[in-house]
Amino acid sequence: MRRITLLGRTGTVILMVGLAIVLVSLPPPASPSSSGHRGSILPEEYEIEHSGVYRPQTGFQISVESTDNVRVYLLGVSPLEFDNWKTQVRAAYPDLDHMLGDFFVVPLIFVREAYPDLDDPQIEDIMDIMWNVSVLEKGLQTHPEIVLWQSPPSSTLSHEFLPADVLYIMFIIANPSPDRVEVETKTKDLTVLAPKERVVLPAVLLISIGIALAIPWLILRKVKKSTL
Amino acid sequence: MGKGRPFLEVFTCALNEDHRFPILEILVFLCALSTFVLGGLAAVSNFTTGEAFAHNLVSSSTWPLIILVIIPILKNIAYGLGSDIEKGITQTLFSYPLKRGYILTAKLLSALGIPLLLFLGISIFGLFLLFPDIILANPGTVFLTYAAQLSPVLLAAGLLLILALRLKRGVLALITGLGLCIVLFLIFDALVNSLAYTTGSNWSLKIYAVITPNLALQEYYLGTLLGFTHQIWVPSFSEVLLYLLAGYLLVAVVFIIGYVYFKRGLRI
Repeated sequence: MRRITLLGRTGTVILMVGLAIVLVSLPPPASPSSSGHRGSILPEEYEIEHSGVYRPQTGFQISVESTDNVRVYLLGVSPLEFDNWKTQVRAAYPDLDHMLGDFFVVPLIFVREAYPDLDDPQIEDIMDIMWNVSVLEKGLQTHPEIVLWQSPPSSTLSHEFLPADVLYIMFIIANPSPDRVEVETKTKDLTVLAPKERVVLPAVLLISIGIALAIPWLILRKVKKSTL
Repeated sequence: MGKGRPFLEVFTCALNEDHRFPILEILVFLCALSTFVLGGLAAVSNFTTGEAFAHNLVSSSTWPLIILVIIPILKNIAYGLGSDIEKGITQTLFSYPLKRGYILTAKLLSALGIPLLLFLGISIFGLFLLFPDIILANPGTVFLTYAAQLSPVLLAAGLLLILALRLKRGVLALITGLGLCIVLFLIFDALVNSLAYTTGSNWSLKIYAVITPNLALQEYYLGTLLGFTHQIWVPSFSEVLLYLLAGYLLVAVVFIIGYVYFKRGLRI
């Protein structure tokens, strides 16, 4: 009887933890802020529309409308790798140190890998090639692991994204066509208390184990009460 | 007959009495819920990185849990032990073939050990589930923050023990204990901060850091974000460790007094 009580109480405690996790994962993502941008992308060029460090609790929703088909990429680099790339870019282009904000690190890494022989480049040389779609495609071929999501060619799309880890994330729009494309983008930050993909499985496991342990004790308790 | 069986007997009795269904389950549910909600909110409103972020995460997600630990401690130690002495249950327990010290240990394991075990288990599990990378990358900071957060709780538990043994009345010990907790956690905190603010001296902060070492840890990790106190006090890491050590020494002294009084001074 004591063993069943101990297991039963352990079960009810585990069950409560599981239920708390389910409750926390229920609210839909909140949207504390949003921003919009309208502009044009030159033929066969790409743009970084939005970038920043995101955690599993924070993500964003993007919607894109354009006059012709564009490709949208979500790239994610771990903070450690990002710092490593920053150092590499700084060593490769010491004269461009003044423009080395986080924003330019990934495009410059792609340039360095696409044009390894570019010695002592001027800012104009870099800007000429940095936003080429071919440079982006080459970069993504070399680092396929950083592509978190990519859209098929489309003129209207919407996508919601919550990272599974701490990542430096870039939202990129590429115009592969030979014509200029007008693009309107909207970015909405999303916040969740507990990302569903992380908590659902543990919650299901805890609830199942909790119920399995608690049932014999609850039955015994009911029987005991009814006999009294 | 060895000491194990009577000890388990006393422990089981205390468990039955201290953690009735469904009070423990409700506290566990609230504990888990607040860990996830506050951990999530702390991550969303992040303004720090690395160790400071890990400290802030643990610190802000655990402070309400401390209230949830204090409630069973107040009920089990102040009220429970006081009532046991008042009703003569402790006298019955003294007839067991068990030393007084073991009886108190069994009581404290149930009244204090179980809530602390649950609190730590749920809190660490919750934070690990939400932020495995941060918890694994900063184990030292996470451990120190938990240790600093628990020190005042243990101190309050020790003081409540002495109070219950001295007053020997459940309700009286509960009311006095509640007052003591309010003074220790709320009034002292406000008093120390206003003293530091008005005098511009850090001695009140330093004294209070012995009772609540998390204050020193906060100044060390989040100092500049805490406002005026950082202008008058920037503790070094070794100082923080000293405050933590002093805090636990104080806890040890209080518990030793409680044990000695229970073994030798308690006349019932």
